[in-house]
Amino acid sequence: MGDGRAGGANRPAWLQQYELVGKIGEGTYGLVFLARLKPAHPAPGRRGPPIAIKKFKQSKEGDGVSPTAIREIMLLREINHENVVKLVNVHINHADMSLYLAFDYAEHDLYEIIRHHREKLNAPINPYTVKSLLWQLLNGLNYLHSNWIIHRDLKPSNILVMGEGEEHGIIKIADFGLARIYQAPLKALCDNGVVVTIWYRAPELLLGAKHYTSAVDMWAVGCIFAELLTLKPLFQGVEAKNTPNPFQLDQLDKIFKVLGHPTVEKWPTLANLPWWQNDQQHIQGHKYENPGLHNIVHLPQKSPAFDLLSKMLEYDPRKRITAAQALEHEYFRMDPLPGRNALLPSQPGEKIVQYPVRPVDTTTDFEGTTSLQPTQAPSGNAAQGQSVSRSMPRQMPQQPMVGMPRVAAGTNMAAFNAASQAGIAGLNPGNIPMQRGAGGQSHPHQLRRKADQGMMQNPGYPQQKRRF
Amino acid sequence: MADFRTSSQRERWIFQPHDLTERWAAANQRAAETLAQYGTTRLKVGSLDGSVHSPDHVEGSSDVKPLSYEEEQLTRVFYEQKIQEVCAAFKFPHKIQATAIIYFKRFYLQWSVMEHHPKHIMLTCVYTSCKVEENHVSAEELGKGIQQDHQIILNNEIILLKTLDFDLIVYAPYRSIEGFVDDLEGFCREDNSALQRLKELHQTAISYADKMMLTDAPLLYTPGQLALAALHKSNDTLKVFNFERYLETIFSRQHSDCPVEHFVQSINAIHYLVDQLKIPTVKDMRHVDRKLKHCWDRSSHDEHKKKEKKSKHKSKRTSTDAQLNG
Ligand SMILES: Nc1ncnc2c1ncn2[C@@H]1O[C@H](COP(=O)(O)OP(=O)(O)O)[C@@H](O)[C@H]1O
Ligand SMILES: [Mg+2]
Repeated sequence: MGDGRAGGANRPAWLQQYELVGKIGEGTYGLVFLARLKPAHPAPGRRGPPIAIKKFKQSKEGDGVSPTAIREIMLLREINHENVVKLVNVHINHADMSLYLAFDYAEHDLYEIIRHHREKLNAPINPYTVKSLLWQLLNGLNYLHSNWIIHRDLKPSNILVMGEGEEHGIIKIADFGLARIYQAPLKALCDNGVVVTIWYRAPELLLGAKHYTSAVDMWAVGCIFAELLTLKPLFQGVEAKNTPNPFQLDQLDKIFKVLGHPTVEKWPTLANLPWWQNDQQHIQGHKYENPGLHNIVHLPQKSPAFDLLSKMLEYDPRKRITAAQALEHEYFRMDPLPGRNALLPSQPGEKIVQYPVRPVDTTTDFEGTTSLQPTQAPSGNAAQGQSVSRSMPRQMPQQPMVGMPRVAAGTNMAAFNAASQAGIAGLNPGNIPMQRGAGGQSHPHQLRRKADQGMMQNPGYPQQKRRF
Repeated sequence: MADFRTSSQRERWIFQPHDLTERWAAANQRAAETLAQYGTTRLKVGSLDGSVHSPDHVEGSSDVKPLSYEEEQLTRVFYEQKIQEVCAAFKFPHKIQATAIIYFKRFYLQWSVMEHHPKHIMLTCVYTSCKVEENHVSAEELGKGIQQDHQIILNNEIILLKTLDFDLIVYAPYRSIEGFVDDLEGFCREDNSALQRLKELHQTAISYADKMMLTDAPLLYTPGQLALAALHKSNDTLKVFNFERYLETIFSRQHSDCPVEHFVQSINAIHYLVDQLKIPTVKDMRHVDRKLKHCWDRSSHDEHKKKEKKSKHKSKRTSTDAQLNG
């Protein structure tokens, strides 16, 4: 980690270890580039491994390194899991104090995979692939939640899938710009002007819940599961943008239409949620009698797949299934079994789906400024018949985040944090698994972890018959 | 991470006592050698990549005396305690000072105070700690509050992050103390008077932990060990519960393969470190301060030379290329 010493004439030394291919993404906080590590012993035709480099702009003028970048790096430095994107290096551009995060490159993501099936193939994703993607997503998420991290921004474009090679078809959860550790106080989100899509947002947040719990990630997984099945976002609400922290009526209405109206009987804490309580927009009066989730996802109501989906889309965050529980669900024990390479054909002999590679805009340099001429010949992407700078990287619809009031001291969350942190773990010099401290139960959505299970350990693929 | 067991702190930042002494000695020696050779410890920073170069040669430079190993140690304690003062003045949450002090300690495992001025690093640690702990304060605000040029903070932010290797999530004993006190409520369930005094026990333990933060203990022991030591000390004074029995209870509960004796040992070692702690006064520091100043002053005579150079490069660079030591 960190940078090399003095370099060449006018470029930082670290930059010279890469061959820039072009821009592949543009997000809220900066740009994402594709580069290749220069091989140690260059030879014709030899190419180094691809690396995705995410550039963070400086925060505000004159306030140093972007807090978002710091948050993302500090989380990534603590985590290490097959289904979480791997941070391989951090580089610093001293000229403008910007940070560059170098990741293992993932050729695909769920947004593009879903789009390819919807727009090009006009065919659903095969059940083996859906199940394997979902299983791996849950596996990564279970790891994060076990480490007390809530991602908070799960959506198809943030879930990467590795292209051909050693890790072909493996999911990598990415984009930790919004992620939080339980331990850190959850501050008002409107503070940092965060922007995310509302389609994957959990109902408790839409109704003004003050705390993020890991259950919000599980709601998003439910939405993504449905989207993998139908190729369409499940709850495509139109966003209200009139005020800084508007009530997202349409998004909730879309949810109610499909899942039926929530009731205080089934979701007791509903009564305490601000937007439900004051009911200025008369949401309590909406009545949708015939929930139709099974019709939308075309699953029999008795099928294990449907059972799992509805447990992820449970209104009450306390009753919502956890990642650990979901991994144990019957759905994952039935044929087809999930596998390590999610992109394999479902039947032996069946044709493998050729997903397009990421479009690369080769007219942009590392500073993000556009040059008139491409600086180098198009990379392998072009060789595979993709037009190179045809399409600009897409942008997800971006909407302002619900502003969350500060967490009051002495809430459940605080008590929970204290207990989880209860030196009980810290006191243990050997890596001995231990029971959590008392008090954890007070949290509305406690992360469950078997006390006797080491946390770095994968639960393992459900059965011995694995696909590799 | 809220789980210390898999944390970068456990993996990379808990040391054996001899690791610490070796590192401090190495940094001290390196700086002393630079000083002997160049008459200054100021480093030049490459404007494009931030790479660090040796200072320009200055003739007749051998009369500047370097800080001794012990003086460096004294200086670090002095500024660590300053961190607590600054954070208290700003009424920051308690965690901020702990995180800042741990950053400061980690930073000076790799650098000598002669190479980077502890006053600057102290402020930068507080600033970065605020960013990490979601208590964002602008550099300007922070600088203003203590009448310091906030540019100093910004100039040092990157070198701090780099030295910390971007391992920014740190564990302090406070949260563990809180967890134990929570747990003690169950342990003392039957004893009403004990229950009523838990709050006092907690407070005293926190004050003791504040002192611990100024010793080497946070680089040697886990937050859980520090917390237990703090509670042990606090209970020694207040006599609220039976500490030995409590210790046994947690150990039996955790079917730990690490013997209780090991913990008793580390608790005693922590107490020893706290007992040894000597917080230098401003007066104690005067002599060291003078030396420290000399480490930089030598280069001030070529200040205008530098300016000349700089103006030539003006078209290329803005103001941030100054020395890291600013
Ligand atoms: N490791 C990677 N490999 C390939 N593409 C990536 C990688 N990381 C990010 N991207 C691309 O860049 C986009 C934006 O990156 P992301 O980390 O989500 O940043 P933002 O916070 O701006 O959304 C992603 O949606 C993806 O298309
Ligand atoms: Mg993203």
